[in-house]
Amino acid sequence: MISSDVIRGYNDTMILSLLLDGESYGYEISKRIRTLSEEKYIMKETTLYSAFTRLEKNGFIDSFFMDETFGKRRTYYRITPLGRAYYREKCEEWTLTQEVVSKFIREL
Amino acid sequence: MQMDTIMSYLNNMFAALPRTEQTFKLKQDLLAGMEEKYYELKQEGKSENEAVGIVISEFGNIEELAAELGIAPDPAGEAELFRLLSEEEATEYMSVKKRTGFLTGIGVALCLTGVSLMLLFNTLVEEGRFGSFASEDAGDMLGLVAMFLLLVPAVGLFIYSGMKQEKYSYLQGGFELPYHMKREVERRQAAFAPTYTLSLILGVCLCILSVIPVFAASAFGDSATSYAVIALLEIIAMAVFLFVYYGNIRESHTVLLKKPKAAKAQKEEERVIGAAAAVVWPLATCIFLVSGFVFGSWHINWVIFPVTGILFGMFCAFYNIVKGKESS
Repeated sequence: MISSDVIRGYNDTMILSLLLDGESYGYEISKRIRTLSEEKYIMKETTLYSAFTRLEKNGFIDSFFMDETFGKRRTYYRITPLGRAYYREKCEEWTLTQEVVSKFIREL
Repeated sequence: MQMDTIMSYLNNMFAALPRTEQTFKLKQDLLAGMEEKYYELKQEGKSENEAVGIVISEFGNIEELAAELGIAPDPAGEAELFRLLSEEEATEYMSVKKRTGFLTGIGVALCLTGVSLMLLFNTLVEEGRFGSFASEDAGDMLGLVAMFLLLVPAVGLFIYSGMKQEKYSYLQGGFELPYHMKREVERRQAAFAPTYTLSLILGVCLCILSVIPVFAASAFGDSATSYAVIALLEIIAMAVFLFVYYGNIRESHTVLLKKPKAAKAQKEEERVIGAAAAVVWPLATCIFLVSGFVFGSWHINWVIFPVTGILFGMFCAFYNIVKGKESS
């Protein structure tokens, strides 16, 4: 399991990346993060919803309601053009970060 | 039904947050997600308890969400505005308060002793105990010099104590005490209560007893009355020392233990009573000295102190009752 401290700066990036594939809702996103990371990272509920709140406030995602088959209403999220631009920025930042940090990582 | 456990867990988590449309919606979304996760876990063959355990352990912490929403999760959120007192500061405050209380008490006792010394010299000269060298004027002078010799160190003590306590004036503004320190202060307060009560009883008894020599002396004529007044002042000095010293120790506990919210109202009351005391007592002393020196009424003018004490006590009680009614 990855500590949430280390990964904190990239929670938003992970969510945005999943939303690039199409609109989605809270539980589906957390499930996909879990399976994509091969259970190495499980995003906490409050972390996920904090991120939704923050991303929406910044205009990176939109939310809307959609009725489910058995009468339940779900909050769906979709990425905005602003969100795409932000995602690209974060990807570049990560590439650079990875490049720098990896120079200090070696086998002992 | 295990979903109830999840629901009540969520309710508890949200209990500290204000009820707004936004938190309500968030709570609904979270519940939906947790519910879905719970049913999936059960489908995977987990037991009900296991499923609930996993759902709750993956919830996270509500502070994270509250911070993102820009709300403090503590219903008494304003408590955060108060500075947290460290253990050292609290302990130091108590010991400073005790020491300055002692010094202030000594100072007040010195003042009263000064006045009584002056009376003593006056009486001695009047009675011709110093022989014929000393005229009455010289007696007055000697008395005044003795009084000022005691008043000067007393004033020094007041200033020193005042400066020492000045550092802690921020305690009037409200603060928070660490929990274990609160327990410690409460323990000290409880341990000190019998001592304080004893000192009060002793002080009040001394005040009442101080009048007895005056009554007794009136049977023996004028100069006996003068000596009785000197005795009265000395007894009062002891009583005042007890009040000031033990009162300060007690105050150090009550100041540390008062609730941050009560602090404001109490401050206002203390300010008014303090201001009144600062006017009333020097005024009483002035009247005492002037009536003594100008009209020579030493045999009776001492009543100004007990009378002022009673009137002032009545004023404080009355003021507190009126204020208490206003605020409730």
